[in-house]
Amino acid sequence: MSRIPFKIGQPKKQIVPKTVERDFEREYGKLQQLEEQTKRLQKDMRKSTDADLAMSKSAVKISLDLLSNPLCEQDQDFLNMVTALDTAMKRMDAFNQEKVNQIQKTVIEPLKKFGSVFPSLNMAVKRREQALQDYRRLQAKVEKYEEKEKTGPVLAKLHQAREELRPVRDDFEAKNKQLLDEMPRFYNSRLDYFQPSFESLIRAQVVYYSEMHKIFGDLTQQLDQPGCPDEQRERENEARLSELRALSIVADD
Amino acid sequence: MEPADMTSHGDDALSSRTGAPGGDDRLSEDRSLLQQRLAVRELLDTEVSYLHVLQLCASDIRSRLQQLPQGDLDVLFSNIDDIIKVNSRLLHDLQETASREEEQVQLIGNTFLEFQEELEQVYKVYCASYEQALLLVETYRKEPELQREIQGIIEAVLPQAGPSGLSFLLVIPLQRITKYPLLLQKILENTLPDASAYAVLQRATSALQDVVTNINEYKRRKEVASKYTKVEPLSLRERLARINTHTLSKKTTRLSQLLKQEAGLVPRTEDKEFDDLEEKFHWVSLCVTELKSNVAAYLDNLEAFLRFRPQDYNLEIPGGPVVQYCYLARDLQLQAFPEFKQQLEAQVWQPLCSLAKALAGPQNLIKKRLDKLLDFERVEEKLLEVGSMTYEEEAARHTYQALNSLLVAELPQFNQLAMRWLSQILCAFVTLQRDLAKQVLQRAEDSLAQLPHHHLSEPAFRKLVEDALGQTSHQLHAFQENFEKVLPPPTTQPLLPGAERQVQALLSRYGPGKLYQVTSNISGAGTLDLTLPRGHIVALLQNKDTKGNSSRWLVDTGGHRGYVPAGKLEVYHVVPTEEELRGQARPHKDSQHQTPEPTSAPVPSVPTVTQVVAVYPFVARSSHEVSLQAGQRVTVLEAHDKKGNPEWSLVEVNGQRGYVPSSFLARAPSPAPWGWSLPS
Repeated sequence: MSRIPFKIGQPKKQIVPKTVERDFEREYGKLQQLEEQTKRLQKDMRKSTDADLAMSKSAVKISLDLLSNPLCEQDQDFLNMVTALDTAMKRMDAFNQEKVNQIQKTVIEPLKKFGSVFPSLNMAVKRREQALQDYRRLQAKVEKYEEKEKTGPVLAKLHQAREELRPVRDDFEAKNKQLLDEMPRFYNSRLDYFQPSFESLIRAQVVYYSEMHKIFGDLTQQLDQPGCPDEQRERENEARLSELRALSIVADD
Repeated sequence: MEPADMTSHGDDALSSRTGAPGGDDRLSEDRSLLQQRLAVRELLDTEVSYLHVLQLCASDIRSRLQQLPQGDLDVLFSNIDDIIKVNSRLLHDLQETASREEEQVQLIGNTFLEFQEELEQVYKVYCASYEQALLLVETYRKEPELQREIQGIIEAVLPQAGPSGLSFLLVIPLQRITKYPLLLQKILENTLPDASAYAVLQRATSALQDVVTNINEYKRRKEVASKYTKVEPLSLRERLARINTHTLSKKTTRLSQLLKQEAGLVPRTEDKEFDDLEEKFHWVSLCVTELKSNVAAYLDNLEAFLRFRPQDYNLEIPGGPVVQYCYLARDLQLQAFPEFKQQLEAQVWQPLCSLAKALAGPQNLIKKRLDKLLDFERVEEKLLEVGSMTYEEEAARHTYQALNSLLVAELPQFNQLAMRWLSQILCAFVTLQRDLAKQVLQRAEDSLAQLPHHHLSEPAFRKLVEDALGQTSHQLHAFQENFEKVLPPPTTQPLLPGAERQVQALLSRYGPGKLYQVTSNISGAGTLDLTLPRGHIVALLQNKDTKGNSSRWLVDTGGHRGYVPAGKLEVYHVVPTEEELRGQARPHKDSQHQTPEPTSAPVPSVPTVTQVVAVYPFVARSSHEVSLQAGQRVTVLEAHDKKGNPEWSLVEVNGQRGYVPSSFLARAPSPAPWGWSLPS
């Protein structure tokens, strides 16, 4: 047997039209893409919020450590500044936590929920595939008997095979139809599903940064340091460094 | 420093010739006045020629010394340009005083008082680099060719420089600054004590003396400091090479001194003032280093935050808030945040690093001071015991004192400057936060304006979102349920060839009524539990386990026996094979399918009449049997044959009665709709 024209157990007739198969693959393909994107997006959002929280915590640590330095006991001005800074940082941290909670609730959780549908979908697609395999196999069996000489036993077997085939074919057709109906609906649902989440995300930023602007704006005024442009600040720093270097006790390098 | 006398000797000779000693008052008064005038003129004339020489050095000579590198020239001539500037103004002011003859001396005094600060500042710098300049001159002297060239240039411009050339020129400013007190003193000596000018002039003289003292002190401090502040990165070999018996003995004596201190054997030289300074410095250092590491952590976290780009993912949503967010996030990550990070690094991180580095110098000096203190104390002890000390020991004492006075003088300044800078850095941090917030807010508010619900208040919006999400959550759940309803294929699953044989074996051993099929994968947990795939056929042995649990059944797979959950089993209806069909056509002695023996006597049986459905077609082979079609509804009259064999049932179908294999009948009254309900 050098050449086997058909695989054993495979029907000769194309039981599923090519267009149907193509449609199915296209729709499923889009959903697989969406699954991956939502999974990665969810992971990245979570990492982003974790980093956000860490940043805020390290800002709080800055003022906390300053406050615990004994210099605060000696220098009233320093103490005032550091206390004001500490208050600001703590308030910002609270707002940040609130922002993260809101994002968790309105973006990350929904993303997770959306993603949790995919396992069921994938299972359903597998079952359809399974049904298709069964369908193919039984179809091949029927075709096998159909080709044989029509004797009594053969006819009986043919009849039997056809009886077996029928429920399986119906099963596959039904599964196929259901998925072809449901998949596009599910895919399209993403439009309405995600818009509120992202709207919420933008609003959460606005709320947080409004507070930040206010708190640090007030603090800047309180510290009595006008915002100076970058070059001026650079010159200031140079001046401070030269002052220090002018001392003999400071090493030149 | 010996002042080179550039004045002519003529004036002195003049003053010694006129006037005999012990002349009358008026004559001495006149003489004083004359001396005074001469002294004033000397001051002014020498200032003129001094300035002239300086200018020649700075311009002519320096520009011609092209064979020397710029770095060398900077060291040699130091801040000579600044000196020229100051002295030019000084000369100008002094020359102006000449027009007001009466008050000239007073004005001169005032001028010098005005210039005191500037002179100190500018000559201080020059003096500090003078030593280094001399070293350079020495190196040039070692190269005859270079030396000749330099000499030639100098002689061409200033012949009076003589053979010592460069060193002669470079010392001139030092000589000048030390000359001022002497010149002023000369004028003062010839001024009447009750003159109004006297007080001013006296103050000016002492002021200029202070200037010279300060310059010297500054120079000395710089020397001491430069010796100890540097932390040289020494290799191990270099370190080892440095250890000799001398240093070793130094270290051991220091240690023993420290121990003696600790033990109370030797009174610790308490210096409250220094200790307070040192403590404050320690806190300042702590503040700086902590802040530096905290800012580093903050920057790291910022970097991590910027690494994640949720806006990069594509959900294939063409418009609306999703797209708005992507634009916003991209904008922030490309512009606002990198700018913030950059500014933080430049205005907070870099200065902190410089400030931290500056801590090293004082730290070393403090340590060295303590070392020298221990040495010093031991020397004091020895002095008490022995009455004298070696030169080295004397030097230790001086070094300690120098270090101590240096630190006491400069640590307060350091602390103050450091604190000031720290405050500025913190303010910068705060301002940058504010600016970042402004940047982000601007952009976010623009995005917000384009959102559908931007007019809503925040609480109203949150409620809206909550409701929306609740709704969509239901919808998702519905989708999920729909997908899950796609059931596995019906229980009457055709078997794979290999399984058929197994089924036959089970069938022959247990009978068709005992066969079950696994409806979904079973994974056994305990040792007696089986793991079976969906579709596997088993025979029931017991419909409960040893504890009486009826949801756990004991089955036989044909190879193994074990427990499986009852819920995952469905009654299996055997599809009769060819052999079976043939076998049913003729009687087999050992076949379990016995043909029913018709008896005339009716066997009493409990009539169980039920409606069932034939699942498989059956061809009647005798008049006692009746044919069935798949899906046909039949009425069971008796669930066994005349002999009581339950494998055959008496049914009525299509008006006919007869026996059919019981296993061909579905127990359920109506076919369970296998499949799923289509979504509404």
